[in-house]
Amino acid sequence: MTSGFFANGSISGGGPPPDPPLGLVVGGSLADGVDIRLNPTGNLLIEDVKVGSFVTIRGQRYLFFGVVTDLALNSSDPRLRHSPPDSEDPVLMAAVSGTMAYGMVSVLPNLALPLGNDGEQRPLAAKTVPTHFSPAYPATDADVAAVFGSEDNQHFWIGTPLDMDTRVCVDLRNLVRRSFGVFGKSGTGKTFLTRLLLVGILQDGETSSLIFDMHSEYGWSGQDSDRDRQVKGLKQLFQSRVSTFTLDEESSRRRGSSPDEVVRIGYCDIEPEDIELLKDNLNLSDVAASAAFNLQQHFGGNWLGEFLRLQAADLGELADGLGVNRAALGALHNRLSRFRRFPFLEDDNRYNTAASIMEQLELGKHVVLEFGRYGRNLSAYILVSNLLSRRIHERYVQLKEAAEGAQGAEPRPLVIVIEEAHRFLSPSIASQTTFANIARELRKYNVTLMVIDQRPGSIDSEVMSQLGTRFTCALDNDRDIDAVLSGAAGSRQLRGVLARLEEKQQALIFGHAVPMPVVIHTREYGTQESYRQLQAGVVPGQVLEPRPGETKKALVEREIDELFS
Amino acid sequence: MREPVAEVIGSDSRTLTAQCYDLYRSPQLGALVTVGEPKVFAVVQGIRTEPLDPARPVLARGRDSGSLEEVYRANPQLERLLTTRFDALIVGHESGRLLLQLLPPLPPPIHSFVAACAPNEVERFTDNLDFCRFLLASGPPMADEVVVACLRLAASCRSDGDDFLKRAGQVIAKDAIGDSARVAAILRRVRL
Repeated sequence: MTSGFFANGSISGGGPPPDPPLGLVVGGSLADGVDIRLNPTGNLLIEDVKVGSFVTIRGQRYLFFGVVTDLALNSSDPRLRHSPPDSEDPVLMAAVSGTMAYGMVSVLPNLALPLGNDGEQRPLAAKTVPTHFSPAYPATDADVAAVFGSEDNQHFWIGTPLDMDTRVCVDLRNLVRRSFGVFGKSGTGKTFLTRLLLVGILQDGETSSLIFDMHSEYGWSGQDSDRDRQVKGLKQLFQSRVSTFTLDEESSRRRGSSPDEVVRIGYCDIEPEDIELLKDNLNLSDVAASAAFNLQQHFGGNWLGEFLRLQAADLGELADGLGVNRAALGALHNRLSRFRRFPFLEDDNRYNTAASIMEQLELGKHVVLEFGRYGRNLSAYILVSNLLSRRIHERYVQLKEAAEGAQGAEPRPLVIVIEEAHRFLSPSIASQTTFANIARELRKYNVTLMVIDQRPGSIDSEVMSQLGTRFTCALDNDRDIDAVLSGAAGSRQLRGVLARLEEKQQALIFGHAVPMPVVIHTREYGTQESYRQLQAGVVPGQVLEPRPGETKKALVEREIDELFS
Repeated sequence: MREPVAEVIGSDSRTLTAQCYDLYRSPQLGALVTVGEPKVFAVVQGIRTEPLDPARPVLARGRDSGSLEEVYRANPQLERLLTTRFDALIVGHESGRLLLQLLPPLPPPIHSFVAACAPNEVERFTDNLDFCRFLLASGPPMADEVVVACLRLAASCRSDGDDFLKRAGQVIAKDAIGDSARVAAILRRVRL
C-alpha cells in the first residue's frame, strides 16, 4: 500500500489546496453524515457531484475522507417553491442561485487522519465529524489511491471509482478471512465481478477456491451476452493452477474444455440430510423426506442404492416394516427415482470425487466443478454441491484439529463458491446445509464461502450477518436491498447509493476488504489487454496466446519451451 | 472635492440633514454624496422642500398663472421663503487612503460642505457593495426605494453594467435571506 495518507493528494503538504472548495460543512451528525453547502462561487455545479463519489474534508484536527450519499436542492425562502424567479432573468437568477437557492451535498465521513501526521499513519474509521464550516474538496486520484492502496499480491485491482481513473483495490487476505457475497439482479455483472475476484484470489496464491460452477461460466469459458462474445475462464488463463471437474463430460467437450476429471458419486455418499435439503425441489412432504432416515437405519450406508433397486410392489411391505406411511414412502421412491437420470450418480462406490478435489486443493490448485446441462437442474446442483462441501468440510475440520494438536500443517485456506445461494441458505433450510455451517463457523477451520445470488433477501439473516464483505451490483427489490445493507454502518445512506447503481458494470463494495464503502466501475474483463493484465504476475502456469493457425499441441510445446528456456 | 451643493444642518452617527444652497438643487434620491474632509460618504434617502419659517405656512398662489414658472416669476420672494433640504444615510468614510464602508467615528460637523460624488468616485465606492446593508437596514418604507435608486445611479456610472447588477443582486439576496420576493422586486425595478 502507498505509505502516507493523501501523500500526493490535493490537500497534502499542510497548505491550503489551490482549488476553491466544493463547499463548507454546515451541519449533520456522525450517524447521518455531514451536510455540505455547495460553494456558489466554486467551479462545481450540483450536477457535477455524483452519489458515490469521494470527498475530502479538512477539519481543524483531522482530515476526513467520505463518500457522497445524497444530493439535495435547498432554499432559504420556502416561497421560492411556489413562486420561482423568472428563469429568463439572468441577473435575478444569478442573485438567487447559490444564495437563497443552493445545493446541499450529504457526505458520510468514513475515515479520519490526524492533521500533521508524519505521513506513515493510516487513516482510521471516523469517530467524529468535522467542525462547522470545514471546507470540503472533491477527492483527487491521488487521495483515492492513498486510501484504496496500490496493487500487489495482497491487493487486487477490482475497478475504478466513478468518473475517476484511480484503481480501487480489495485486500484479498481480509476478503477471504470471512465469508463474502456478490449480489445483484440478473444481468448486472455478478459473474464478471466474481471472475475478477477469483482471479485475484488465484493471483494472491494464499488461498484455494472450489467453484460450483452452475452455468459453466468460470472454468473454460463464459459468455459475454452484452458484447456477444466468449470470454476466457480461469482454466484458459491459468492452466496449471486450475483443475476442472465436470458432471457433464459431453457438454464440457462440446465447449472446447478438456476437464481434468469427471465427477462420479456413489449412492452410498448420499445422506438422508441431502434429501431433507431437496424437499422443496423434489416436492416431498416432511413425512416422506424424513422416511429417508428410516431407510438409512434399515439399509445402512448404501440405503439409497438399495432403496432404488426395489420395485414399487415391494414398497408397501417395506413401509409397514419401517413404520412409515405407505404413500409417503411411495412418493419418496418415485421422486428419488429421478436420480437414475443423473449419470454421475452410480451404484459403484469406488469413486471418491471429494477426495480428488481435496487432493487438488491441498496442492494449492483451484477447482472448478462444471455442471454442464445439470446446472439447469437445481436438485442436481444442490445435491452435488452440498454433498461435496460436506465431505470437504469434514476433512478440513479433521486437518484443522490435527494442526491444533501439532500433528499436521494448517490446512490451506479455502473459499467455496456457490451460486443461487438463497436455494441453500433460505431461513427454512439454512440450518440443515453445510453451507450455513461454513458461513457461521468454518472461518476457524480455514474455509469460507463466496455467496453469489440475485435474491439476497431470501438468504437467512444469520448467514447474511456473517458475510464480511459484500459486493453489490444493482438491485431493485427493497427486501434484497435491506438484506444486503443489514448491519452495515451508514446503511441508510448507502441505500441511496445502491439504489442508483447503473444496471451494468457498477458495484458497491463495503466490508472488511475495503477501508470504506466504495462504488466502482468494474474492471474490464474479456479483452486481450485485460487477459494480459490479469495474467501478469502469475508466472507458474502462465499461458501464451495462440498464434494464428497454431495447433493446441504446438501451443503447449511452445509454452513448455518458454517455461524452461 | 467638487463644488458643494449643500451644507450639513444636522447630523448623528447614522444620518445627516443638509440644506441646499439653491432651491430644488438637491442631489437625486439614491445619489452618493461626500461630506467634509476627511470625506464621509452618504446616500440621499429623502428630499423635501419646505418653508424656512415653519410658522409661515406656504399658500397656494397659482390660480391665475398659466404655468409653474409664471408662479415663481410673479412671486420672486418664494426663493427666499422656501428651502430644499435632504436627509442622507451615512454609508462609509475615508481613513487615510482607505475607503471604509463603516460608519465614521464621529458624525460630520454642522456646516460641513456636501457635494455630489463624481462618476469615478461612485465607481470606486461601489466596487464594494457592503454599503447596501446600511440601506436595506434603514427600514421601511423607503429602504428598498433608496436601494433601487442608488443602484440605478451607480450602474449608470459603471462600465460593468450587468455584472455589477448580478453582484449587487447576490449581496442583496444574502442580506434579505428568506425574502425572495423582496429581492426580485428590487432587482426588477433597478433595471426598469
